[in-house]
Amino acid sequence: MNTDLSPEAVEFGRTARRALEAAGGDELALSAHEGDGSAAVKVLGDLGAWDLDPRGSADELEAAAALCRSAGWWAVPHPVAERAARPHDVDADALVVVAGGRPTGALAHAVAGLALRWVAVDLDGRRSLGTPRPDQAPAGKPGVAVPLDLAPLDDDGAGDVALGLVLPCWTLLGMLDRAVELTAHYVRERHQFGQPLSSFQGVQFQLTDAEVERVGVEELAKYALWSVATGRPDALSDALALRLAAVEAAEAVFRVTHQLHGAIGFCDETALSWLSRASQPLRRLPLGPSATRAALTDRLGRRGLSGLFS
Amino acid sequence: MGALDYDQGPQVAELRTQLRRLIADHLPPDYLGAFTDDPADLEVAQSFSRLLADHGLLCAAWPEEFGGRDASPWEQTAVREEMWAHHEPRGAQYMGVNWVGPAIMRHGSAEQQRTHLPPIARGEVIWCQGFSEPDAGSDLASLQTAARRDGDGWRISGQKTWTSYATMAQWCFLLARTSRGERKQQGITVFIVPMDAPGIEVRPIPCMLGPHHLNEVFLDDVRVTEADVLGTVDEGWKVVQEVLAFERVGIARYARVERLLQWAPAALGDGWDRLPDELRSRWTRMLVHARRARLLAYRVIATQQTGQVRPGDTAAYRIAVTRLDQESAEVLMDIAAEIAPSVDPTAAGEADRFRRAVEDHHRYSVSATMASGSIEMQRILLARALLAAA
Repeated sequence: MNTDLSPEAVEFGRTARRALEAAGGDELALSAHEGDGSAAVKVLGDLGAWDLDPRGSADELEAAAALCRSAGWWAVPHPVAERAARPHDVDADALVVVAGGRPTGALAHAVAGLALRWVAVDLDGRRSLGTPRPDQAPAGKPGVAVPLDLAPLDDDGAGDVALGLVLPCWTLLGMLDRAVELTAHYVRERHQFGQPLSSFQGVQFQLTDAEVERVGVEELAKYALWSVATGRPDALSDALALRLAAVEAAEAVFRVTHQLHGAIGFCDETALSWLSRASQPLRRLPLGPSATRAALTDRLGRRGLSGLFS
Repeated sequence: MGALDYDQGPQVAELRTQLRRLIADHLPPDYLGAFTDDPADLEVAQSFSRLLADHGLLCAAWPEEFGGRDASPWEQTAVREEMWAHHEPRGAQYMGVNWVGPAIMRHGSAEQQRTHLPPIARGEVIWCQGFSEPDAGSDLASLQTAARRDGDGWRISGQKTWTSYATMAQWCFLLARTSRGERKQQGITVFIVPMDAPGIEVRPIPCMLGPHHLNEVFLDDVRVTEADVLGTVDEGWKVVQEVLAFERVGIARYARVERLLQWAPAALGDGWDRLPDELRSRWTRMLVHARRARLLAYRVIATQQTGQVRPGDTAAYRIAVTRLDQESAEVLMDIAAEIAPSVDPTAAGEADRFRRAVEDHHRYSVSATMASGSIEMQRILLARALLAAA
């Protein structure tokens, strides 16, 4: 048993976070509003992020997960997780999981990833080549996803789906980390009634509820990563279980962190407002909480989730 | 190879198989624990504990010098999971094994270790915990039960409450105030008190959890000797902190939840397919939450293995697992509502056994957020850790 990422992966994630901070930190998310996030792309390129091969080795998969988490911390306006999940057998730059059967095709978390060559895969492993349609949504704006035009490719993507679901959850985890950290700091600094907000038990208890959700996602994210790395037959169920917990946790964490920030949390001057906006595509695509739950329920059938008594 | 590894290895798998075989061979199929209205269930627990002891499994976690076999933390976890999942067939014994014994190992004299550890290891003795008082619940350090010097010993007077197993226990792990310091945590001493000592009166408190769970214990000038003090006089709070830490990870509540959730489709048979989609969806959500709680427990255990303690992690686990207990009980009761009630209370069909197990789980879950430290106390501990790091 080991429930921690390798020290090298943790260090890689830490280095990426520091490098992103040096390249602008919260300004990176703002740059998406006006530009294309190229500062982050360059910094991560210099670190070797685009050379990581998560499908080639479990070590690199763990490093990629730590990288995604750091990208989430700064709400980096670039599809880092999707690039890390790119398939080996198709000449493409990024992979996105889409929900099959949607009448308008698919939507991609393709902020500032418009020039990339996309492959989309649905839960049944059907793959398509995707072309972003920035004319249908304002590109480069946090919280707004760009539609993809899909051209059917093949049915060989069964092995892509779990990885394609898990890595973006690590990005979302990074956002939850940051939201809780920002809020814990804020309630210590902000005084009302002559005392810090953190001295009120009503405030403390809301914060702890958010933290329990966050830390739960962290553990499920590591488990699902291991499941993908070891090629377990249940990897897709494990990925959907992670996604379900992550999107539900995101609802709870952002509800609490916004509440505890008060009105300042909506303002462009606070990092929380950008994080909150940037989290939206990850939370609703490819499946929102209810659709994720329905998809997992369908997969589980009468068998349940693997565990002590499956 | 990455570093992450959730495979607990062949030794743990073998241990689980052994435990499940013993459970299948020696427990009645509809066993719901030691503390039901049927006194025979208590005897089942006592004999099962002795059986575990014979197989070296009751105190497997203990060091070899005290009769254990130095089982790894993951083996200990497997024992906790299998026992709780199957309605804790060790009955009251888990307390002696999980924390009374370890507390005596750390703080007891050689004589106390010789007297108390072997009977615990053999499953022959029952302990109760004299902690809570009418005016000292979550605020345990406010306890008023007092011990005063009397020659070469002590005389203890006061009242304890909610004391599980007090009617059947031979020994009590009792907290009493021996002096008053600047802080209320100072001046508390742990006494090992024989429950048949003159001056002790136990009154059962009838309750919805079943017999033996809740009692009042009255102590009227109970005489104990200096040799009955555990550790140092006035420094019992340190022992208590350790004991509470043992107890906080002690119960693998998620394991029973997982077992019941996984059992539901088979128990309902064709009825499972007739459940509303919304209910099956809630079942899925609970399975995810059960896994989440289990992984949070593993996070705490893995940290302990490195010799560190992160109180925030322990509190987060406790909050998650006690809420899981209650939320899963609601979902399981909703599922069990699909089973037609039988006129025969002992009906042995799988659906009936499942329904009875779910009803039992539901009744117990109500106390999950209070037992061994209330959820509010856990939130306070977690908030403290979180804000200290900010």
